[in-house]
Amino acid sequence: MRPRRPLAGVLPWGLCFALFGLIPLLWALVLSFTSLNPLRPDLTHWVGLANYARALASPAFWHALRTTCIFVVGTLPPTLVLAYAVAALLARARRAEAFFRAAIFFPATLSMVVISLVFKSLYAEEGLLNGWLARLSLPHVSWLQDPALALPSIMVMDVWASVGYYAILLLAGRKTLPPEQLEAARLEGLRPSEIERRIVLPHLRPVILFVVLLNTIRAFQIFIEVFVLTRGGPLESTLTLVYHLYDRAFYHFEMGYASAIAYLLLLFVGVLLLLQRRLLGRGAEAPA
Amino acid sequence: MGARGHSRLLKEARRAAGGALLLLVLAAALAGCGSRGRAKQTVIFWQFSPLEAIRPVLDRFAAENPDLNVQVEQLTWQSGREKIVAAVAAGRPPDLCEVGSTFLPGLVADSTLLDLTDSIPDLRDSLRGWEIVRYRGRAWAVPWLLGTRALYYNRDLFRRARLDPSRPPATWDELLRDARLIQTTVPYAKGFGMNSGEREILFKKFMPFAWGNGGGILDSTGTKSIVNSPQNREALRFYLGLKPYSLLDRQEMLDQAFARGRLGFTISGTWLLRSLPETAPQLDYDVTLMPRPAAGKGTPASFAGAEALGVFRRSANPSGALRLARFLVRTENAMPLYAATGNAFPAAVAAEADSYFVFHPRDRVFLSQLRSAVSPPLHPKWVDIEETLNSELESAIYGKKSPEEALRSADQKINAILSGGT
Repeated sequence: MRPRRPLAGVLPWGLCFALFGLIPLLWALVLSFTSLNPLRPDLTHWVGLANYARALASPAFWHALRTTCIFVVGTLPPTLVLAYAVAALLARARRAEAFFRAAIFFPATLSMVVISLVFKSLYAEEGLLNGWLARLSLPHVSWLQDPALALPSIMVMDVWASVGYYAILLLAGRKTLPPEQLEAARLEGLRPSEIERRIVLPHLRPVILFVVLLNTIRAFQIFIEVFVLTRGGPLESTLTLVYHLYDRAFYHFEMGYASAIAYLLLLFVGVLLLLQRRLLGRGAEAPA
Repeated sequence: MGARGHSRLLKEARRAAGGALLLLVLAAALAGCGSRGRAKQTVIFWQFSPLEAIRPVLDRFAAENPDLNVQVEQLTWQSGREKIVAAVAAGRPPDLCEVGSTFLPGLVADSTLLDLTDSIPDLRDSLRGWEIVRYRGRAWAVPWLLGTRALYYNRDLFRRARLDPSRPPATWDELLRDARLIQTTVPYAKGFGMNSGEREILFKKFMPFAWGNGGGILDSTGTKSIVNSPQNREALRFYLGLKPYSLLDRQEMLDQAFARGRLGFTISGTWLLRSLPETAPQLDYDVTLMPRPAAGKGTPASFAGAEALGVFRRSANPSGALRLARFLVRTENAMPLYAATGNAFPAAVAAEADSYFVFHPRDRVFLSQLRSAVSPPLHPKWVDIEETLNSELESAIYGKKSPEEALRSADQKINAILSGGT
């Protein structure tokens, strides 16, 4: 039965979205064409596309974009593969499935600030990880102090933090697979790997697409991890785009320029998502 | 009484009633005016100390100033800056705000704060730290609390390295020698704690050596970089000479390593004095002045920072804010805050004579250190200058550039910033 007043149902959400989402989003677009210094809003003037031109000509912008892309490429595939594997293992679990599900989902319930603080202690020069290495008579590693290792260290933390959430999504997708279909495949003599490839994987395609899109958006927005762990260093090896725009907005008071960077990021992510959807979405329907 | 008399009586009664009503209205209006005149004004005060530490001070202020109502809010070090910027952008800044010395130049550059020079001439001699809040001869905030860093050393590691714990290093050579001895003698220890991985504070750790050696960042006119001076180059060469005997990490982690007894020396602030009795009650340590370049040469300089009280240009109650600021900087009000938080000393000159320092000799070392501490220049382009300096220092610490290359590059970039190039 159709609800009589569907609009009334979505009104509270619509109002919140307009107030805290849409209006700030559009306002940021306007700001990106101005010289707004938040400390002197009275001196704001229209600069047209100058902020965009400046960003595109800035080595710092391209460096931050490159770092962000490395982060996305370095976290997306491992997260997806691990989440898929964990979901497959959970689906096979016969005992204590609820416990394992809760355990694997646990990191998703923690704030990223808390996770980052824990990993900051783990990664410290005198931290737990180096303590373990020392016990094994292995040389200590400068996880966050070495420019070559700082970003991969953050990636590892990020993969750990997000695998559980995506595994549960994929597990939910698996649960929608009719058991008769799997039974029939087994009766026809298909090996487990063939069942996985020919039946489960195509069935999970919409969920995988959803996970990829969600993770891509989240990975491009990486900020808290960098803010807590490295502040863009050492030697700018972890300077991501959102941290860069935060730095320009709140340390250099260039809110107009920072807004332009944010819109360039939005544009970039938008194009990428469209490409992903086109490449992965053939035949995939949106998950329910 | 006839009808005429009766009507006159009525008329008189009406007139009297009307008069009484008018008097009542006037009295009420006057009373209203009076009560409005006595109505409490509000001062919105944003600061970083825990509320339980500042509340008793503000209670005393309320007792002394019954016409002012203070609305205090605690900012966090992680997001306080953003909150202040957002409030200023929204046109609703607090009336009085605690502003760190590194944030102050940006606010001064954009004329966000009121020029307080002519409002507080009487405070000039009773407070220290004016150089931190002064730009072109004008005071843009009131110095409230002053902070500096000194050299912590582990007495137990001294003994293990066969060094005399009663003779901490007083010169660069002694610091280098002692750090090397500790690292080479004690297998689990590192000689010195060198900051890395947090670019934003590198200059605070290097510049004390440069300042002590007669170096600096800008010339006296504030229009030219002196970063590539021979004094700075010598200081950076010495500082990097400590690297082989150093643990490289963030300040927080260096403090933790020191607390665990794994660091010979670390340069840190008074906050470590407060945390060590809890985190490492068994640690045998002491604090001493920063080393000078050589015996009889230079000064034991350190970094001087301040928490100042600024009144925003768009403050709704600047006079109330200034009254509160005057109250807060008084020794008897700033001292309890230091005793409670241990973060920074009162800027009040008279605080030095407080009995607290008689019973806390390590705190007294920081007081002595303040006398030779130097603050970075308050320059409108300080954010860019600081970023450049930190970036080049980081390159040198990571071995990407030699000390000479790093300082030469910093010098060129800072001069470009000063001339409006960047």
